[in-house]
Amino acid sequence: MPTAAALRHGLPYWLAGYRSMLRFELASARGWLPTFMFIQVLMGAGMAVVYGFYLGDMPPLAATFITTGAPTLSIIPLGMALLPSLVGAQKTEGSYDFVWSLPVPRPVAAFSSFTLFTLLAVPGVVVTLLLATWRYHLHLEVSPLVVVAVLLAALMSASVGFSLGHAVPNPLITNVITNLVIFVVLMFSPIAFPIDNFPGWLASVHRVLPFWHMANVVRASLTQGLVPHVGQSYLVLAAWLAGAWVVAAWVMGRRR
Amino acid sequence: MTTLAPARVALRSGPGYWWDSYRGMLRWQLTSMRLWLPVTAMVQAISGAGFVLAMGLFFGTVPPRAALFVSTGVLVLTLVIVGLILGPQLVAAQRMEHTYDFLWSLPVPRTTAAAAWLTVNFIIGLPALAVALGVALLRYDLPLHVSPAIVPAVLLTLYTGTMIGYAMAHAIAKPMITVIITQATIFLAFGFSAINFPLDQLPGWLAEVNEWLPLYPMANTVRAALTQGVAEEVARSYLVLAAWSVASTALAAGVLGRRG
Repeated sequence: MPTAAALRHGLPYWLAGYRSMLRFELASARGWLPTFMFIQVLMGAGMAVVYGFYLGDMPPLAATFITTGAPTLSIIPLGMALLPSLVGAQKTEGSYDFVWSLPVPRPVAAFSSFTLFTLLAVPGVVVTLLLATWRYHLHLEVSPLVVVAVLLAALMSASVGFSLGHAVPNPLITNVITNLVIFVVLMFSPIAFPIDNFPGWLASVHRVLPFWHMANVVRASLTQGLVPHVGQSYLVLAAWLAGAWVVAAWVMGRRR
Repeated sequence: MTTLAPARVALRSGPGYWWDSYRGMLRWQLTSMRLWLPVTAMVQAISGAGFVLAMGLFFGTVPPRAALFVSTGVLVLTLVIVGLILGPQLVAAQRMEHTYDFLWSLPVPRTTAAAAWLTVNFIIGLPALAVALGVALLRYDLPLHVSPAIVPAVLLTLYTGTMIGYAMAHAIAKPMITVIITQATIFLAFGFSAINFPLDQLPGWLAEVNEWLPLYPMANTVRAALTQGVAEEVARSYLVLAAWSVASTALAAGVLGRRG
Protein backbone atom coordinates (compact mmCIF):
# COMPACT_ATOMS: atom_id res chain seq x y z
CA MET A 1 0.00 0.00 0.00
CA PRO A 2 2.60 2.61 -0.91
CA THR A 3 -0.04 5.11 -2.07
CA ALA A 4 -1.86 4.98 1.28
CA ALA A 5 1.38 5.56 3.13
CA ALA A 6 2.12 8.56 0.96
CA LEU A 7 -1.26 10.11 1.63
CA ARG A 8 -0.98 10.85 5.36
CA HIS A 9 -2.87 14.11 5.20
CA GLY A 10 -5.99 15.55 3.63
CA LEU A 11 -9.66 14.98 4.20
CA PRO A 12 -9.90 11.33 3.01
CA TYR A 13 -7.04 10.38 5.30
CA TRP A 14 -8.79 12.08 8.23
CA LEU A 15 -12.10 10.40 7.46
CA ALA A 16 -10.45 6.99 7.18
CA GLY A 17 -8.67 7.56 10.50
CA TYR A 18 -11.90 8.73 12.11
CA ARG A 19 -13.75 5.62 10.97
CA SER A 20 -10.99 3.31 12.20
CA MET A 21 -10.76 5.02 15.57
CA LEU A 22 -14.54 4.80 16.02
CA ARG A 23 -14.39 1.08 15.24
CA PHE A 24 -11.41 0.67 17.56
CA GLU A 25 -13.13 2.46 20.47
CA LEU A 26 -16.47 0.77 19.93
CA ALA A 27 -14.73 -2.61 19.93
CA SER A 28 -12.89 -1.82 23.18
CA ALA A 29 -16.18 -0.61 24.68
CA ARG A 30 -18.08 -3.86 24.18
CA GLY A 31 -16.80 -5.26 27.49
CA TRP A 32 -18.23 -2.54 29.69
CA LEU A 33 -21.05 -1.26 27.49
CA PRO A 34 -23.98 -3.43 28.73
CA THR A 35 -23.04 -2.96 32.41
CA PHE A 36 -22.67 0.70 31.84
CA MET A 37 -26.02 1.13 30.09
CA PHE A 38 -27.57 -0.49 33.15
CA ILE A 39 -25.77 1.85 35.56
CA GLN A 40 -26.71 4.82 33.41
CA VAL A 41 -30.41 3.99 33.63
CA LEU A 42 -30.02 3.40 37.38
CA MET A 43 -28.46 6.83 37.80
CA GLY A 44 -31.21 8.47 35.77
CA ALA A 45 -34.48 6.62 36.27
CA GLY A 46 -33.32 4.96 39.51
CA MET A 47 -32.50 8.29 41.12
CA ALA A 48 -35.79 9.76 39.86
CA VAL A 49 -37.64 6.98 41.71
CA VAL A 50 -35.44 7.30 44.81
CA TYR A 51 -35.92 11.06 45.09
CA GLY A 52 -39.65 10.29 45.07
CA PHE A 53 -39.28 7.97 48.08
CA TYR A 54 -37.48 10.71 49.97
CA LEU A 55 -40.03 13.38 49.16
CA GLY A 56 -43.03 11.23 50.08
CA ASP A 57 -46.13 12.85 48.62
CA MET A 58 -45.14 14.52 45.42
CA PRO A 59 -46.58 17.82 44.14
CA PRO A 60 -46.84 17.77 40.31
CA LEU A 61 -44.22 20.50 39.97
CA ALA A 62 -41.65 18.50 41.96
CA ALA A 63 -42.45 15.43 39.86
CA THR A 64 -41.91 17.44 36.68
CA PHE A 65 -38.56 18.73 37.94
CA ILE A 66 -37.38 15.26 38.89
CA THR A 67 -38.53 13.67 35.63
CA THR A 68 -36.96 16.33 33.43
CA GLY A 69 -33.77 16.29 35.52
CA ALA A 70 -33.37 12.52 35.17
CA PRO A 71 -31.99 12.59 31.58
CA THR A 72 -29.24 14.96 32.71
CA LEU A 73 -28.44 12.68 35.64
CA SER A 74 -27.96 9.84 33.19
CA ILE A 75 -25.72 11.88 30.83
CA ILE A 76 -23.21 13.06 33.43
CA PRO A 77 -21.73 9.73 34.60
CA LEU A 78 -20.98 8.64 31.03
CA GLY A 79 -18.94 11.65 29.94
CA MET A 80 -17.68 13.05 33.20
CA ALA A 81 -16.99 9.87 35.17
CA LEU A 82 -16.62 6.88 32.85
CA LEU A 83 -14.60 8.56 30.09
CA PRO A 84 -11.93 10.05 32.38
CA SER A 85 -11.64 6.84 34.39
CA LEU A 86 -11.21 4.81 31.19
CA VAL A 87 -8.36 7.12 30.17
CA GLY A 88 -7.01 6.81 33.73
CA ALA A 89 -7.20 3.02 33.49
CA GLN A 90 -5.21 3.13 30.22
CA LYS A 91 -2.51 5.07 32.06
CA THR A 92 -2.46 2.55 34.93
CA GLU A 93 -2.35 -0.44 32.58
CA GLY A 94 0.30 1.15 30.41
CA SER A 95 -1.77 1.01 27.22
CA TYR A 96 -2.15 4.82 27.10
CA ASP A 97 1.01 5.43 25.06
CA PHE A 98 0.04 2.68 22.68
CA VAL A 99 -3.32 4.28 21.92
CA TRP A 100 -1.67 7.66 21.47
CA SER A 101 0.88 6.12 19.09
CA LEU A 102 -1.73 4.78 16.67
CA PRO A 103 -1.13 6.22 13.20
CA VAL A 104 -4.06 8.65 13.14
CA PRO A 105 -3.99 12.38 13.75
CA ARG A 106 -4.68 13.04 17.45
CA PRO A 107 -7.61 15.40 16.83
CA VAL A 108 -9.24 12.58 14.86
CA ALA A 109 -8.86 10.27 17.86
CA ALA A 110 -10.36 12.95 20.10
CA PHE A 111 -13.34 13.52 17.80
CA SER A 112 -14.01 9.82 17.63
CA SER A 113 -14.16 9.76 21.47
CA PHE A 114 -16.50 12.74 21.48
CA THR A 115 -18.77 11.11 18.89
CA LEU A 116 -18.88 7.77 20.62
CA PHE A 117 -19.55 9.09 24.13
CA THR A 118 -22.13 11.59 22.86
CA LEU A 119 -24.09 8.96 20.96
CA LEU A 120 -23.80 6.35 23.71
CA ALA A 121 -25.62 8.72 26.04
CA VAL A 122 -28.75 8.76 23.88
CA PRO A 123 -30.29 5.31 24.61
CA GLY A 124 -29.86 5.84 28.36
CA VAL A 125 -31.52 9.24 28.11
CA VAL A 126 -34.51 7.85 26.20
CA VAL A 127 -35.03 4.89 28.56
CA THR A 128 -34.63 7.12 31.61
CA LEU A 129 -37.14 9.64 30.32
CA LEU A 130 -39.69 6.95 29.46
CA LEU A 131 -39.35 5.25 32.87
CA ALA A 132 -39.57 8.51 34.80
CA THR A 133 -42.63 9.80 32.92
CA TRP A 134 -44.31 6.45 33.41
CA ARG A 135 -43.52 6.43 37.15
CA TYR A 136 -44.95 9.89 37.77
CA HIS A 137 -47.78 9.77 35.16
CA LEU A 138 -46.59 12.94 33.46
CA HIS A 139 -47.39 14.38 30.11
CA LEU A 140 -44.36 16.22 28.75
CA GLU A 141 -44.38 18.70 25.88
CA VAL A 142 -41.44 17.45 23.87
CA SER A 143 -40.09 19.98 21.39
CA PRO A 144 -37.68 19.13 18.56
CA LEU A 145 -35.08 21.15 20.45
CA VAL A 146 -34.63 18.12 22.70
CA VAL A 147 -32.24 16.65 20.11
CA VAL A 148 -30.02 19.72 20.22
CA ALA A 149 -30.20 19.98 24.02
CA VAL A 150 -29.33 16.34 24.73
CA LEU A 151 -26.57 16.19 22.12
CA LEU A 152 -25.01 19.45 23.31
CA ALA A 153 -25.17 18.38 26.96
CA ALA A 154 -23.69 14.98 26.13
CA LEU A 155 -20.98 16.42 23.86
CA MET A 156 -19.98 19.00 26.48
CA SER A 157 -19.91 16.34 29.17
CA ALA A 158 -17.78 14.00 27.03
CA SER A 159 -15.40 16.83 26.10
CA VAL A 160 -14.88 17.93 29.70
CA GLY A 161 -14.35 14.30 30.74
CA PHE A 162 -11.89 13.74 27.89
CA SER A 163 -9.83 16.79 28.77
CA LEU A 164 -9.87 15.88 32.43
CA GLY A 165 -8.74 12.31 31.78
CA HIS A 166 -5.90 13.40 29.51
CA ALA A 167 -4.77 16.52 31.36
CA VAL A 168 -4.51 14.99 34.85
CA PRO A 169 -1.33 12.88 34.91
CA ASN A 170 -2.14 10.72 37.93
CA PRO A 171 -5.10 8.32 37.45
CA LEU A 172 -5.69 8.26 41.21
CA ILE A 173 -6.37 12.00 41.17
CA THR A 174 -8.71 11.50 38.20
CA ASN A 175 -10.54 8.92 40.27
CA VAL A 176 -10.95 11.26 43.21
CA ILE A 177 -12.24 14.02 40.92
CA THR A 178 -14.79 11.78 39.20
CA ASN A 179 -16.07 10.47 42.54
CA LEU A 180 -16.40 14.03 43.76
CA VAL A 181 -18.31 14.98 40.59
CA ILE A 182 -20.82 12.16 41.14
CA PHE A 183 -21.23 13.10 44.82
CA VAL A 184 -21.79 16.78 44.01
CA VAL A 185 -24.12 15.99 41.12
CA LEU A 186 -26.33 13.60 43.09
CA MET A 187 -26.54 15.56 46.32
CA PHE A 188 -25.71 19.20 45.78
CA SER A 189 -26.82 20.12 42.26
CA PRO A 190 -30.01 21.81 41.14
CA ILE A 191 -30.65 19.17 38.47
CA ALA A 192 -33.76 17.50 39.81
CA PHE A 193 -34.69 20.40 42.11
CA PRO A 194 -35.34 24.11 41.57
CA ILE A 195 -32.27 26.28 42.09
CA ASP A 196 -34.40 28.47 44.42
CA ASN A 197 -34.01 25.75 47.08
CA PHE A 198 -30.28 26.46 47.18
CA PRO A 199 -28.59 28.98 49.44
CA GLY A 200 -27.37 32.05 47.53
CA TRP A 201 -23.67 31.21 47.44
CA LEU A 202 -24.25 27.65 46.19
CA ALA A 203 -26.70 28.90 43.57
CA SER A 204 -24.04 31.34 42.33
CA VAL A 205 -21.52 28.51 42.07
CA HIS A 206 -24.02 26.55 39.99
CA ARG A 207 -24.52 29.44 37.60
CA VAL A 208 -20.87 28.92 36.61
CA LEU A 209 -20.68 25.11 36.78
CA PRO A 210 -22.24 23.24 33.83
CA PHE A 211 -24.63 20.90 35.70
CA TRP A 212 -27.53 23.28 36.26
CA HIS A 213 -27.28 24.57 32.69
CA MET A 214 -27.36 21.03 31.30
CA ALA A 215 -30.54 20.38 33.26
CA ASN A 216 -31.94 23.72 32.07
CA VAL A 217 -31.54 23.13 28.34
CA VAL A 218 -32.94 19.60 28.60
CA ARG A 219 -35.84 20.73 30.81
CA ALA A 220 -36.65 23.64 28.49
CA SER A 221 -37.03 21.22 25.59
CA LEU A 222 -39.44 19.01 27.54
CA THR A 223 -41.66 21.55 29.29
CA GLN A 224 -43.13 24.98 28.75
CA GLY A 225 -42.70 27.97 31.00
CA LEU A 226 -40.47 26.28 33.60
CA VAL A 227 -37.11 27.57 32.40
CA PRO A 228 -36.59 31.29 31.87
CA HIS A 229 -33.48 32.52 30.00
CA VAL A 230 -32.60 29.16 28.45
CA GLY A 231 -30.45 31.02 25.93
CA GLN A 232 -27.98 31.86 28.70
CA SER A 233 -27.71 28.19 29.58
CA TYR A 234 -26.93 27.34 25.95
CA LEU A 235 -24.20 30.00 25.98
CA VAL A 236 -22.65 28.71 29.21
CA LEU A 237 -22.64 25.15 27.86
CA ALA A 238 -21.04 26.35 24.63
CA ALA A 239 -18.38 28.14 26.68
CA TRP A 240 -17.64 24.96 28.67
CA LEU A 241 -17.45 23.03 25.40
CA ALA A 242 -15.01 25.54 23.92
CA GLY A 243 -12.94 25.53 27.12
CA ALA A 244 -12.77 21.75 27.14
CA TRP A 245 -11.65 21.71 23.51
CA VAL A 246 -8.91 24.26 24.21
CA VAL A 247 -7.59 22.07 27.03
CA ALA A 248 -7.89 19.00 24.81
CA ALA A 249 -5.95 20.76 22.03
CA TRP A 250 -3.24 21.72 24.49
CA VAL A 251 -2.96 18.16 25.84
CA MET A 252 -2.86 16.70 22.34
CA GLY A 253 -0.21 19.12 21.11
CA ARG A 254 2.05 18.39 24.07
CA ARG A 255 5.18 16.34 23.37
CA ARG A 256 6.96 14.45 26.06
CA MET B 1 14.78 -13.88 74.50
CA THR B 2 15.34 -17.24 72.85
CA THR B 3 14.87 -19.01 76.16
CA LEU B 4 11.35 -17.61 76.46
CA ALA B 5 10.05 -18.84 73.14
CA PRO B 6 9.41 -22.55 73.97
CA ALA B 7 7.32 -21.65 77.02
CA ARG B 8 5.02 -19.44 74.85
CA VAL B 9 4.61 -22.11 72.21
CA ALA B 10 3.39 -24.57 74.82
CA LEU B 11 0.54 -22.28 75.84
CA ARG B 12 -1.48 -22.16 72.61
CA SER B 13 -4.86 -22.50 74.27
CA GLY B 14 -6.88 -21.05 77.14
CA PRO B 15 -8.35 -17.62 77.79
CA GLY B 16 -4.93 -16.02 78.45
CA TYR B 17 -3.67 -17.09 75.05
CA TRP B 18 -6.90 -15.95 73.39
CA TRP B 19 -6.70 -12.53 75.09
CA ASP B 20 -3.06 -12.04 74.06
CA SER B 21 -3.89 -13.02 70.49
CA TYR B 22 -6.88 -10.69 70.45
CA ARG B 23 -4.72 -7.78 71.59
CA GLY B 24 -2.13 -8.70 68.99
CA MET B 25 -4.72 -8.85 66.20
CA LEU B 26 -6.28 -5.56 67.27
CA ARG B 27 -2.85 -3.90 67.21
CA TRP B 28 -2.17 -5.55 63.85
CA GLN B 29 -5.44 -4.32 62.31
CA LEU B 30 -5.15 -0.81 63.68
CA THR B 31 -1.55 -0.58 62.47
CA SER B 32 -2.24 -1.92 59.01
CA MET B 33 -5.09 0.57 58.66
CA ARG B 34 -3.32 3.56 60.14
CA LEU B 35 -3.53 5.49 56.86
CA TRP B 36 -6.91 4.19 55.83
CA LEU B 37 -8.61 4.68 59.19
CA PRO B 38 -8.43 8.47 59.64
CA VAL B 39 -9.27 9.08 55.98
CA THR B 40 -12.27 6.76 56.21
CA ALA B 41 -13.46 8.33 59.44
CA MET B 42 -13.20 11.75 57.84
CA VAL B 43 -14.94 10.76 54.59
CA GLN B 44 -17.68 9.15 56.66
CA ALA B 45 -18.18 12.22 58.80
CA ILE B 46 -18.22 14.50 55.75
CA SER B 47 -20.60 12.35 53.72
CA GLY B 48 -22.88 11.81 56.71
CA ALA B 49 -23.00 15.52 57.45
CA GLY B 50 -23.28 16.27 53.71
CA PHE B 51 -26.25 14.01 53.38
CA VAL B 52 -28.07 15.68 56.25
CA LEU B 53 -27.39 19.09 54.69
CA ALA B 54 -28.30 17.97 51.16
CA MET B 55 -31.83 17.16 52.30
CA GLY B 56 -32.39 20.89 52.72
CA LEU B 57 -31.74 21.28 48.98
CA PHE B 58 -34.16 18.51 48.05
CA PHE B 59 -37.07 20.00 49.94
CA GLY B 60 -36.48 23.71 50.04
CA THR B 61 -37.91 23.92 53.54
CA VAL B 62 -37.56 20.51 55.16
CA PRO B 63 -40.70 19.21 56.91
CA PRO B 64 -39.83 18.36 60.56
CA ARG B 65 -40.81 14.74 60.12
CA ALA B 66 -38.50 14.33 57.10
CA ALA B 67 -35.67 16.02 58.99
CA LEU B 68 -36.16 13.64 61.89
CA PHE B 69 -36.09 10.59 59.63
CA VAL B 70 -33.04 11.67 57.66
CA SER B 71 -31.04 12.70 60.71
CA THR B 72 -31.65 9.44 62.54
CA GLY B 73 -31.31 7.37 59.35
CA VAL B 74 -27.90 8.81 58.53
CA LEU B 75 -26.73 7.73 61.99
CA VAL B 76 -27.58 4.14 61.15
CA LEU B 77 -25.84 4.30 57.78
CA THR B 78 -22.75 5.72 59.47
CA LEU B 79 -22.78 2.84 61.92
CA VAL B 80 -22.96 0.05 59.37
CA ILE B 81 -21.11 1.37 56.35
CA VAL B 82 -17.67 0.31 57.55
CA GLY B 83 -18.71 -3.18 58.59
CA LEU B 84 -21.16 -3.87 55.79
CA ILE B 85 -19.48 -2.14 52.82
CA LEU B 86 -15.87 -1.16 53.45
CA GLY B 87 -14.91 -4.27 55.43
CA PRO B 88 -15.87 -6.71 52.67
CA GLN B 89 -14.11 -4.47 50.14
CA LEU B 90 -10.93 -4.59 52.24
CA VAL B 91 -11.09 -8.39 52.35
CA ALA B 92 -11.72 -8.45 48.60
CA ALA B 93 -8.61 -6.28 48.13
CA GLN B 94 -6.60 -8.69 50.31
CA ARG B 95 -7.73 -11.55 48.10
CA MET B 96 -6.71 -9.67 44.95
CA GLU B 97 -3.31 -8.78 46.42
CA HIS B 98 -2.87 -12.36 47.67
CA THR B 99 -2.28 -11.30 51.27
CA TYR B 100 -5.48 -13.04 52.37
CA ASP B 101 -3.95 -16.48 52.94
CA PHE B 102 -1.04 -14.92 54.77
CA LEU B 103 -3.38 -13.19 57.22
CA TRP B 104 -5.31 -16.42 57.75
CA SER B 105 -2.04 -18.22 58.50
CA LEU B 106 -1.10 -15.94 61.41
CA PRO B 107 -0.64 -18.01 64.59
CA VAL B 108 -3.75 -16.74 66.41
CA PRO B 109 -7.21 -18.23 66.90
CA ARG B 110 -9.37 -17.06 64.00
CA THR B 111 -12.06 -15.84 66.39
CA THR B 112 -9.62 -13.22 67.66
CA ALA B 113 -9.37 -11.79 64.14
CA ALA B 114 -13.15 -11.49 64.03
CA ALA B 115 -13.29 -9.99 67.53
CA ALA B 116 -10.57 -7.48 66.65
CA TRP B 117 -12.46 -6.47 63.50
CA LEU B 118 -15.62 -5.95 65.55
CA THR B 119 -13.65 -3.75 67.93
CA VAL B 120 -12.25 -1.69 65.05
CA ASN B 121 -15.81 -1.14 63.83
CA PHE B 122 -16.86 0.13 67.23
CA ILE B 123 -13.83 2.43 67.31
CA ILE B 124 -14.81 3.93 63.93
CA GLY B 125 -18.58 3.76 64.25
CA LEU B 126 -19.20 5.48 67.57
CA PRO B 127 -17.35 8.79 66.88
CA ALA B 128 -18.92 8.93 63.40
CA LEU B 129 -22.30 8.52 65.08
CA ALA B 130 -21.57 11.44 67.38
CA VAL B 131 -20.52 13.72 64.49
CA ALA B 132 -23.58 12.89 62.37
CA LEU B 133 -25.88 13.45 65.34
CA GLY B 134 -24.15 16.75 66.17
CA VAL B 135 -24.57 18.10 62.63
CA ALA B 136 -28.21 17.03 62.54
CA LEU B 137 -28.91 18.76 65.85
CA LEU B 138 -27.18 21.95 64.68
CA ARG B 139 -28.93 22.08 61.33
CA TYR B 140 -32.44 21.01 62.29
CA ASP B 141 -34.17 21.66 65.57
CA LEU B 142 -34.83 18.01 66.33
CA PRO B 143 -37.25 16.83 69.01
CA LEU B 144 -35.03 14.00 70.25
CA HIS B 145 -35.91 11.85 73.27
CA VAL B 146 -32.93 9.64 73.97
CA SER B 147 -33.92 6.54 75.91
CA PRO B 148 -31.63 3.87 77.46
CA ALA B 149 -32.69 1.59 74.60
CA ILE B 150 -30.09 3.45 72.53
CA VAL B 151 -27.39 1.17 73.98
CA PRO B 152 -28.84 -2.18 72.85
CA ALA B 153 -30.08 -0.66 69.58
CA VAL B 154 -26.68 0.73 68.60
CA LEU B 155 -24.78 -2.33 69.80
CA LEU B 156 -27.08 -4.75 67.98
CA THR B 157 -26.97 -2.64 64.80
CA LEU B 158 -23.18 -2.36 64.84
CA TYR B 159 -22.74 -6.05 65.65
CA THR B 160 -25.19 -7.30 63.01
CA GLY B 161 -23.92 -4.98 60.29
CA THR B 162 -20.33 -5.96 60.95
CA MET B 163 -21.06 -9.69 61.13
CA ILE B 164 -23.12 -9.75 57.93
CA GLY B 165 -20.28 -8.01 56.11
CA TYR B 166 -17.70 -10.25 57.73
CA ALA B 167 -19.52 -13.47 56.90
CA MET B 168 -20.12 -12.33 53.32
CA ALA B 169 -16.52 -11.22 52.80
CA HIS B 170 -15.08 -14.52 53.95
CA ALA B 171 -17.73 -16.78 52.43
CA ILE B 172 -17.46 -15.36 48.90
CA ALA B 173 -14.24 -16.48 47.24
CA LYS B 174 -14.33 -14.17 44.19
CA PRO B 175 -13.38 -10.59 45.13
CA MET B 176 -15.17 -9.09 42.11
CA ILE B 177 -18.49 -10.56 43.30
CA THR B 178 -17.94 -9.03 46.74
CA VAL B 179 -17.26 -5.63 45.20
CA ILE B 180 -20.39 -5.81 43.04
CA ILE B 181 -22.56 -6.92 45.99
CA THR B 182 -21.27 -4.14 48.24
CA GLN B 183 -21.82 -1.50 45.56
CA ALA B 184 -25.34 -2.74 44.95
CA THR B 185 -25.90 -2.76 48.73
CA ILE B 186 -24.88 0.85 49.12
CA PHE B 187 -27.22 1.92 46.29
CA LEU B 188 -30.08 -0.10 47.76
CA ALA B 189 -29.34 1.15 51.28
CA PHE B 190 -29.51 4.81 50.31
CA GLY B 191 -32.24 4.56 47.70
CA PHE B 192 -34.56 1.67 48.40
CA SER B 193 -34.36 1.01 52.14
CA ALA B 194 -36.65 2.71 54.60
CA ILE B 195 -33.72 4.17 56.54
CA ASN B 196 -33.84 7.87 55.69
CA PHE B 197 -37.58 8.06 55.08
CA PRO B 198 -40.74 6.43 56.51
CA LEU B 199 -41.55 2.88 55.44
CA ASP B 200 -44.98 3.92 54.12
CA GLN B 201 -43.37 6.07 51.42
CA LEU B 202 -42.27 2.87 49.67
CA PRO B 203 -44.67 0.86 47.49
CA GLY B 204 -46.37 -1.94 49.47
CA TRP B 205 -44.34 -4.88 48.19
CA LEU B 206 -41.04 -3.07 48.70
CA ALA B 207 -42.06 -2.14 52.24
CA GLU B 208 -42.81 -5.81 52.88
CA VAL B 209 -39.35 -6.82 51.63
CA ASN B 210 -37.77 -4.11 53.80
CA GLU B 211 -39.33 -5.51 56.94
CA TRP B 212 -37.45 -8.77 56.49
CA LEU B 213 -34.08 -7.36 55.47
CA PRO B 214 -31.73 -6.10 58.19
CA LEU B 215 -31.40 -2.41 57.26
CA TYR B 216 -34.91 -1.24 58.05
CA PRO B 217 -34.99 -2.97 61.48
CA MET B 218 -31.63 -1.34 62.27
CA ALA B 219 -33.02 2.09 61.44
CA ASN B 220 -36.27 1.39 63.26
CA THR B 221 -34.65 0.27 66.53
CA VAL B 222 -32.16 3.15 66.62
CA ARG B 223 -34.91 5.63 65.70
CA ALA B 224 -37.18 4.24 68.43
CA ALA B 225 -34.44 4.86 70.99
CA LEU B 226 -33.94 8.46 69.85
CA THR B 227 -37.50 9.64 69.26
CA GLN B 228 -41.02 9.31 70.58
CA GLY B 229 -43.99 8.15 68.56
CA VAL B 230 -42.14 7.86 65.25
CA ALA B 231 -41.00 4.25 65.10
CA GLU B 232 -43.56 1.46 64.84
CA GLU B 233 -43.48 -2.26 65.61
CA VAL B 234 -40.11 -1.93 67.32
CA ALA B 235 -40.27 -5.34 69.04
CA ARG B 236 -40.63 -7.02 65.68
CA SER B 237 -37.60 -5.09 64.40
CA TYR B 238 -35.53 -6.30 67.37
CA LEU B 239 -36.55 -9.88 66.60
CA VAL B 240 -35.70 -9.65 62.90
CA LEU B 241 -32.40 -8.01 63.74
CA ALA B 242 -31.57 -10.64 66.36
CA ALA B 243 -32.32 -13.36 63.80
CA TRP B 244 -29.92 -11.72 61.33
CA SER B 245 -27.21 -11.42 63.97
CA VAL B 246 -27.52 -15.11 64.88
CA ALA B 247 -27.56 -16.19 61.23
CA SER B 248 -24.57 -14.07 60.27
CA THR B 249 -22.62 -15.20 63.35
CA ALA B 250 -23.34 -18.83 62.46
CA LEU B 251 -22.26 -18.28 58.87
CA ALA B 252 -19.10 -16.48 59.99
CA ALA B 253 -18.33 -19.29 62.45
CA GLY B 254 -18.79 -21.83 59.67
CA VAL B 255 -16.42 -19.93 57.39
CA LEU B 256 -13.88 -19.42 60.16
CA GLY B 257 -13.85 -23.10 61.01
CA ARG B 258 -13.37 -24.15 57.38
CA ARG B 259 -10.01 -25.60 56.37
CA GLY B 260 -8.54 -25.39 52.92
